[in-house]
Amino acid sequence: MVEISINGKTVDAEPGRRLVEVIKEQGITITNLCYIDGLEPYAGCRTCIVDIEGGRPSSLQLSCTAQITEGQVVRTDTTEVKQARQSVMSVILANHPDRCLTCHRRVHCMPGDICLRDDVVTHRCLTCSKNYRCELQTSCENVDQGDFSEPWVGEKRSYYETPPPEPDRANPFLEFDPQMCIICARCVRACDELRHTGALSLAGKGHTTMIAFGAGGQIHESDCDFCGACIDVCPTATLMEKPNKWNGRADDWTSAVCNSCSVGCTITYGTSDQVGSENIPVIVRPERINPVSQDQICVRGRFGYDAIGPEDRLTTSLERQNDRLVPRSLFDATNLAVEQLRTVIDSHGAQTIGLLGSPLATTEEAMALSALADSIGTPNIDFSHGVIHRSVLSSLDQALGTNKLSADLTDIEKSARLVVIATDLEESHPGVSLRIKGAARKNQAKVVLISPRWSELDRFACSVLRCYPGTEANVADSLGKLETNPPLGISTEQWNAALTIVGSNEEFSDEITSVVFAPNAIDAEMASGLASAACNLAIGMVGNTTAEHLFYLPVDGNTHGVHDAGIFPKTDGKAFREIILGAISGSIKGLIIHDDNPILNSPDTDMIISALSNLESLVVIDSVKSTLSDYATVMLSEAAFYHRSGSITTADRRVLLHNSIDSGVEKEKSGIEIIKRIGAGLGFDFDRVFSYSALAEYPSEEALVQQQGRLRAIPDQAVFKAEVQEIDVPMRRVDDLAVFTSRSLYTSWDGASSASEEADKLDREGTAWVNPGDAQEAGVTQGVAVTLQNGSHSITMKIKLDDGVAAGTVYVPSYYRGGAIMSLFALEGLTGGLPSVKLVAADA
Amino acid sequence: MPLETESTLRIRSIIKDFKPNNGDLLAALYAVQHEMGYLSKEALAVIADQFKMFTAEVYGMASFYEEYRFDPPAKTTIRWCSGPACRTRNSAGIRDAILATLDLNETGEQTEDGQCSVVVGQCNGTCELAPMIWVEEHKTYELPVGKLTAAKSIKLARGLRSGSGIGEILNG
Repeated sequence: MVEISINGKTVDAEPGRRLVEVIKEQGITITNLCYIDGLEPYAGCRTCIVDIEGGRPSSLQLSCTAQITEGQVVRTDTTEVKQARQSVMSVILANHPDRCLTCHRRVHCMPGDICLRDDVVTHRCLTCSKNYRCELQTSCENVDQGDFSEPWVGEKRSYYETPPPEPDRANPFLEFDPQMCIICARCVRACDELRHTGALSLAGKGHTTMIAFGAGGQIHESDCDFCGACIDVCPTATLMEKPNKWNGRADDWTSAVCNSCSVGCTITYGTSDQVGSENIPVIVRPERINPVSQDQICVRGRFGYDAIGPEDRLTTSLERQNDRLVPRSLFDATNLAVEQLRTVIDSHGAQTIGLLGSPLATTEEAMALSALADSIGTPNIDFSHGVIHRSVLSSLDQALGTNKLSADLTDIEKSARLVVIATDLEESHPGVSLRIKGAARKNQAKVVLISPRWSELDRFACSVLRCYPGTEANVADSLGKLETNPPLGISTEQWNAALTIVGSNEEFSDEITSVVFAPNAIDAEMASGLASAACNLAIGMVGNTTAEHLFYLPVDGNTHGVHDAGIFPKTDGKAFREIILGAISGSIKGLIIHDDNPILNSPDTDMIISALSNLESLVVIDSVKSTLSDYATVMLSEAAFYHRSGSITTADRRVLLHNSIDSGVEKEKSGIEIIKRIGAGLGFDFDRVFSYSALAEYPSEEALVQQQGRLRAIPDQAVFKAEVQEIDVPMRRVDDLAVFTSRSLYTSWDGASSASEEADKLDREGTAWVNPGDAQEAGVTQGVAVTLQNGSHSITMKIKLDDGVAAGTVYVPSYYRGGAIMSLFALEGLTGGLPSVKLVAADA
Repeated sequence: MPLETESTLRIRSIIKDFKPNNGDLLAALYAVQHEMGYLSKEALAVIADQFKMFTAEVYGMASFYEEYRFDPPAKTTIRWCSGPACRTRNSAGIRDAILATLDLNETGEQTEDGQCSVVVGQCNGTCELAPMIWVEEHKTYELPVGKLTAAKSIKLARGLRSGSGIGEILNG
């Protein structure tokens, strides 16, 4: 640390740091329109000029390029500095509208007034969607720019003299309005250096330079994943969220967690007091609480709150009367549910009740649901993916002596060697995928990818082992054993590259090695085999410290949390599949489903549906009008996720607090209150608080509030056990085409669960990926509709020819049309995870 | 993943000898434009793939240079010399006459039927021909036509627009 002086105040700072960051940390206002904290300075905008004593050639220096040195004397407040900034700002403003600065009514316009453009002011100024939250506007005000009257009389400014370029509004997430652009290139650098996506560039030259996406086309034609990192850094209204673009000025912010995948990125919901947008988020920004996500989120985190329209939400509770659903108040509907459950318990016994929780719920809700099962006296409690999760945990237990891995996801970006086993991590767990890309680009990490399908990670990997779906475990195991001959279907060149990386333990002995696996959500046997294989592979590379280097990424958000909270079958209880079979055979008569949707999540749709229709009572607690509404006897309307509070346990068992955006209105509709009321209605004592802190190894509430993001529910003692397991997953191959599936990036759970029209907003994934060779054989061409036929089951959808899937395989996104693909999978039997389909051209 | 097609394979074969981090990008872009007539989005993606760059980076780089085209060229391109010698001999009037005849608003545009386009060219020193243009057909010929008058240029533009061969126009 060295001492420097800023505006006469002595400040301790680390030598070599960028001066502008230190000035900002001191709370001193400084304009800096192109600097992004943490990245190399770009020095394009020149607005961060300060006076550094003894600077050469002049004492006016850019604070973004200047580095901290001992005894620096810095002033940000001299007249000279201000004038220099004003002149720089006037150049920037020459090609940017300035009405927000110069309109003499800009602080007066209130609802009901007439604006000087003769428009009625409804609730805001109409000049610009970013009014009052624009960094350029604030910067101009900071240097007293625009403090003059009506400058447009006789003015000559290029902005008002040239026709505005065309905006791009073709996609549902991001609006690009280049007329507002000041070419600070922050978005270009954020996309490249923070996201490693590189979807943007500066195109053209001179005064016609513009931001361009991809090869100069529209945004959705480029590599853009709509994560919105460019929106966060854009100082003007050039790049904006399309939903709530004009009323996204938040009055209040609430810290929350995204539950869309198990990475658990922390976000903050912005809420507005404006009429019409009370009580819903109007904007989402990343929140730096979770050190894994830091300041980055993905398209689901940023736009998930807006994924479905109000018509697909379950805003009123419903009661089934014959084939109609009749609206009921939540109070009446809860009583009705209690009545139905009581009838089932009284006439058939408590053991005929089953409960399904969901990893999309908070840990507290899961604890309440588990307590409800205990009170009722039924051991039958699970969630759709429960058996997958438990089989992975038991594999980890066997190999490592614990399933609470101490591996920390913040290590991923520091790794020098990574093995990734997943179908498409970029789509299923974007937050981790981003850190892997970061390791590859910043740390030159060697990445080995084992995957049945092309993903964005391919280009960052040194070796891509494109395997037949379902054989990931076998491939990983062979790789761990350093077998010289590649498994069937894997290219020798790629295999040798992988062997070199996995086999050179000495070379990487001082560096971090990570093994990441994300099992599929269909077949428990494959998942447990994959977990064992990943353990074996990791043990071969890092020995008995495997638990610190192995990452298990469950599919859904709070999988760890709900499992810890007790959502698993108790002694002699029925697991998910047995509950379904029980419903068909009549040993399960009543089912309570909280937030889960087996129709979307579970294989064998026909069986699920016949089970659900066979129930005497199906009580569904959900915030969306999911496809379960066709079979439910009572639907209890729950508050949306952003209206609920609780905790979430992420993939690396980090405990995070999720807060409701509202303090009271929706509280009684929260899942936990509804479950408590059902419990109380059934005559049990539910007047108690459910808190994560009651769970083993979870932090106390005080500790978590103070150190949120850093506390994890893992054992205090490091575990050093590592036993190689025998992998007995058979190398399955099917006769026709093998169908495999996984989560898609752009489809939200809410949208898929309610089979909403809005679910595939971008429509980039509603296609089956078919290898061109297979398509030729079947006589179908790019873009046509085909029928995937598996015995009596079939689905019809458009195809996309793609070299990214191996010959003999077809990829279909699992959330396509409310989980339509699930009808091809079987809930039992060995080949449940790998249906064989014939490709038939559908008649037009 | 982009699908490998006949045209991507053709682009790959054009640029197969160029390497990343070797100062080859401009040459590769030139080679593809010379062969294909322009840089399609597909071509930019293939080049990016070979050079281990992002497509947007390649586009950003290529768009800096006037010579690279991102749309298919017209059948015949009129390259209008913007040099000072031509200017002193009323080349601006020649340009306006050609643009008006072809029903175009400014240089860089092409006629709706794709027959003709007008682009800005740079002086190559043959100022004895001022005011001059070059009439080009991609990979076929590049013909300087000099000592233009308004009448001559209108006749030429009309001929090209109706699809007559350049020889026919100049000799007829």
